[in-house]
Amino acid sequence: MCHRTTRFSYLAAALVTVLACSRPASQFGLKRMSAGQEFSGFLSTYANLKPSQEVESTVSYVSQDPIKNVHKYVAVIVEPPVVYLATDADEKALPDRGRTALAEYFQHAITEAVEDAFPIVQASGPLVLRLRSAIIGVDVGPAMPADQKDGKSLDRAINIGKVGVEIEFVDSETGQQIAAAVDRQNLGENAMVGSVSFSREEQFRAATQAFDGWAKRLRDFLDSAHQLSKDDVARTEATNFPYASPPTPK
Amino acid sequence: MTTRLLPALALLLPAGLLAGEISVFRAYVDSDLCARLMLGPITPSRIQCSQSTVKEGSEPVVVHLRNNLVLTVNKQKMIRDLAGQLVEVSGEMKAKNGTVKLQSANVITAESVPQGDPARKLLDVRTYRTDKSAQLHEKIRHELAMMPYISEFDFISFTQSGVDVILTGWTIRSTNRSTAYNVVKDIPGVETVINNIDVLPLGSLDMQIRAAARAALQRQLSRYFWGNGSDIKIVVKNGQIILLGTVSTKADSDIAFIQCNSVSGAFKVFNLLRVQGSEKKGA
Repeated sequence: MCHRTTRFSYLAAALVTVLACSRPASQFGLKRMSAGQEFSGFLSTYANLKPSQEVESTVSYVSQDPIKNVHKYVAVIVEPPVVYLATDADEKALPDRGRTALAEYFQHAITEAVEDAFPIVQASGPLVLRLRSAIIGVDVGPAMPADQKDGKSLDRAINIGKVGVEIEFVDSETGQQIAAAVDRQNLGENAMVGSVSFSREEQFRAATQAFDGWAKRLRDFLDSAHQLSKDDVARTEATNFPYASPPTPK
Repeated sequence: MTTRLLPALALLLPAGLLAGEISVFRAYVDSDLCARLMLGPITPSRIQCSQSTVKEGSEPVVVHLRNNLVLTVNKQKMIRDLAGQLVEVSGEMKAKNGTVKLQSANVITAESVPQGDPARKLLDVRTYRTDKSAQLHEKIRHELAMMPYISEFDFISFTQSGVDVILTGWTIRSTNRSTAYNVVKDIPGVETVINNIDVLPLGSLDMQIRAAARAALQRQLSRYFWGNGSDIKIVVKNGQIILLGTVSTKADSDIAFIQCNSVSGAFKVFNLLRVQGSEKKGA
């Protein structure tokens, strides 16, 4: 009995060690674009999207509901971005750590862009938005040249030349869409990610620029949505007074 | 080593180098609430604010007369009944932490503070009088009012003393704290800006109170909520609701108070709503 217990303990310890040493599954989901579809299906609805007046090749939606609009929320949960493979991409050839690096970079960029205007929280609740995002159309690129490889290089590059992003803010409790945008850009043939530390390497600058650009656009959108209307300016001017006594002239 | 250190410590202790230094200074006993709202001259409306909010449960604090520094105290009981009065305080002050360990607090009169003493600054409304101040005040007010991310859950106020501006209030967004500082700092005529704006925690209970309070007020007093703003500000901190802003009638102020008192999870409501046209009465 005692021997059996010891043997079982060894087995359990070995199992724990194996589990601990195995690579953790990426927190960033991976999906594939369906053939012939305009959108990935990631957003909760596409019915509200209309071509943007300000940004080319972008369709967007902003809720004008007086009760459920972006002004009525004060904090946000940033969900890990989901990566959608191009329809004909070879999933097995896509380096997992490269995909993770890509998604991590995008998550970091959008978090940094929004966090001082919409503080980041972890739990859903009233006044909290959920920011969902997806990188659409990621493809497998060429093998990385052997002479350029180091520990951080990927075996195969990730081609992001034709990626787009789909982003939406939803009510964290009900899932109702509050704002959404789908943006496509042709970043060109050179838009590749060939290293997990791509953001620090000049040759992959097109990728960082693209993700930074999308993050900035997201913040610009929030800023423009929060600009005071003419009526709001008048009302604010008329009612907003400090509590301390104003100075009196000498 | 230890034997060498011990005599050194014994020598240092009586000299007060290891123990905290005891300061004696003149102060105004305020509530945390009013100190953050009304830094500046001690006017009758401020005294009324201090007394009523301490009575309602706001933490009593002392405000250093020399520099407007708000200090929380360890023995609140010692000063609770002195709200709205001037005191001479002795205790171990930690300016960086904004705290003082009270030893004593004795009531003094304004007359006992000598003319020319820097401690008179807060007592003398003339400190807050300069030729350009009224214009500058309006400019600061305008710039702060136009900040885009101000919601019904933020209240940014300020006190102006000549070319010095003290920003006060509460916000749920850190961008408001930095934006307020930057816009005021850039106004021609402003020389120094002290940023006392408190960034509020976003705990889930406070968030639920915010949402419930706004919903309750919008149901009953919808005319004060417009476009993307509101005349009523709902500041929520650790379960306490502070109502600020302006309403048309005393009845509306009372309705707001009653509505917020019925919000689940809120354990205290401070009604500091001003009633239009009755500011002078200290409403």
